[in-house]
Amino acid sequence: MPATNTYSEEELVLLLQQRSEAAFNYLYQNYAAVLYGIVRKTIFDEQTAQDVLQEAFVKIWNNIDKYDPQKGRIYTWMINITRNAAIDKLRSKGEVMKSKIRTGEEIVNNIGQSLKTEQVTDTIGLRQVVGGLEPGYKAIVELAYFKGFTLDEISKTLDIPLGTVKTRMRHAIKLLREHFKQ
Amino acid sequence: MNIKEYIESGILEAYVLGSLSQEEQERVAADIARYPELAEEIAAIEDTMWLMAQAGAEEPPAELKGKIWAQVDNTIPGKISMPVSPKTIPLTRQLSWQRAAVWIALTGSVLVNFILWSQRNNTQEAQVAVKAQLDTMQHQLAALQTSTQKQAEMLADSGMKTVVMQSMLPGHPMAATVYWNKTNGDAYLAMQKLPMPDKGKQYQMWVIQDGKPVSMGVIDNHLLKTPTVSKLPMEVKNGQAFAISLEKEGGNPTPTEVYVLGKIS
Repeated sequence: MPATNTYSEEELVLLLQQRSEAAFNYLYQNYAAVLYGIVRKTIFDEQTAQDVLQEAFVKIWNNIDKYDPQKGRIYTWMINITRNAAIDKLRSKGEVMKSKIRTGEEIVNNIGQSLKTEQVTDTIGLRQVVGGLEPGYKAIVELAYFKGFTLDEISKTLDIPLGTVKTRMRHAIKLLREHFKQ
Repeated sequence: MNIKEYIESGILEAYVLGSLSQEEQERVAADIARYPELAEEIAAIEDTMWLMAQAGAEEPPAELKGKIWAQVDNTIPGKISMPVSPKTIPLTRQLSWQRAAVWIALTGSVLVNFILWSQRNNTQEAQVAVKAQLDTMQHQLAALQTSTQKQAEMLADSGMKTVVMQSMLPGHPMAATVYWNKTNGDAYLAMQKLPMPDKGKQYQMWVIQDGKPVSMGVIDNHLLKTPTVSKLPMEVKNGQAFAISLEKEGGNPTPTEVYVLGKIS
């Protein structure tokens, strides 16, 4: 296993710009599982998810020259390309509102509930996927991250003020940060 | 610009998630390039998102790699990077003094405008941050108020039975209350003094019917952090007691360690 080869961000970008098979192998080995995980959070159907991963890889491959290190890390860029490919597919299939796709509806319901005082305790569905986040916070991160909602859309969907969406988003990621530090 | 408020506003998280409008996205990118503190914060957020993504990694099927490589290999793009040749406009004529005066006035005016504009921007950003904070606080306060009000109403409701569950472990002063409407079967739970369970543990709610414990669902740990009144997800038409036990995450078919119990009188 050539897994011992690790590259810095700059090296990886240079490597990708050469468009060699070795570069592809490295990219695939180190990022395919993470990117596929992201696609699968949004798209439940495995065949469709594989198609989307393929599209994302082609996009990353073809657009590596457009990556701007000033704007963020290479992996954030790749994650965003993948996410957007998944969301585009989702929207093109008109499935975003049907939301039988793992999280969406359940999240929106849960937040609705958690904002009221009468809370249902039967919350087995709220297994902690990414840490001990309260559903109200988790919903915001997940809607933004996996469903590609803009802040405005989140604010309207969950019926909470835009300022609150932002501060909760910050709070949620802060909690995640602490969670991962452990 | 107040960096701290800027960071606290949560706009950087939204930036990393790509959930800002194109315009805002570009503005934040410009701010990051200007302020190293922002860049540092962005890096920390990106790391978190990466760890979150890693936590959700899923191995794609093995044959996919070859398929993608075949696809990728076929689409080797032509180099699109055209050299940008900026048009240079030669200054042929000498600037007369009038021209110079106009330029000076214009530059001055632009500068002053820019200063005024950026000052205004700073104040607005600070306002937004403070307002967001207020929103959150207001929200918490409202939740607390409704919770208290609800409990008061239920206490006053004569159709509502109040069952106080007392600690079953000597030396541990724990308590929780069930408000139960026998007529329609609605039951509400208020937890007063229950310690946060250890990792991997959860409380489970029970009603004892005909001497047998019947599960009413597990209690999400985050409910313990704030004083809430929760509607129980099951109609209770009869029963002799309510109880809460500590179980493994996800609950058990029968209670293992009962923490609090209250007989229905």
